[in-house]
Amino acid sequence: MQNYYHPAPSRTIPAPDYPVAMAYVPWQHFSDTYEPDKALQCGTIFPELNKPFLGRKGCRL
Amino acid sequence: MTANSRYKSKAALLHWINMVSFAADDAALYLDTHPQDQEALAYFANYSGLRRQAMEDFAEAFYPLTRDASQNSRQQWDWGAGPLPWEGGC
Repeated sequence: MQNYYHPAPSRTIPAPDYPVAMAYVPWQHFSDTYEPDKALQCGTIFPELNKPFLGRKGCRL
Repeated sequence: MTANSRYKSKAALLHWINMVSFAADDAALYLDTHPQDQEALAYFANYSGLRRQAMEDFAEAFYPLTRDASQNSRQQWDWGAGPLPWEGGC
């Protein structure tokens, strides 16, 4: 049966040291930061963590 | 923003304190998981220094925001000098 949830082969993580059924979070590295006023307004100094909610009433736009 | 340009008003200085405090806090969270990151350490040192200076300036110009920032230059305990939260203090 065609498995619709299999990610494209290019996006699978190389198997050897990554057992299945485990979640992995990429390690964050200190790069550029927002200016303090924008950081306070966005709620983070790190652009890569600035993920505003884009849905409405719990659904996607 | 130069040091003295922030002293236009109490609100501006409070906003500056909020900004530099937030930046220091967020960097601290990052340092919790990256204790050897030199760039983050320098970033934190910078903003916590700015915060300490701003707290002292505020205490000198208005009233202390925290007990340890109270200025004893007035030779009296001024910790309760500012307006209380329900009186519009912060």
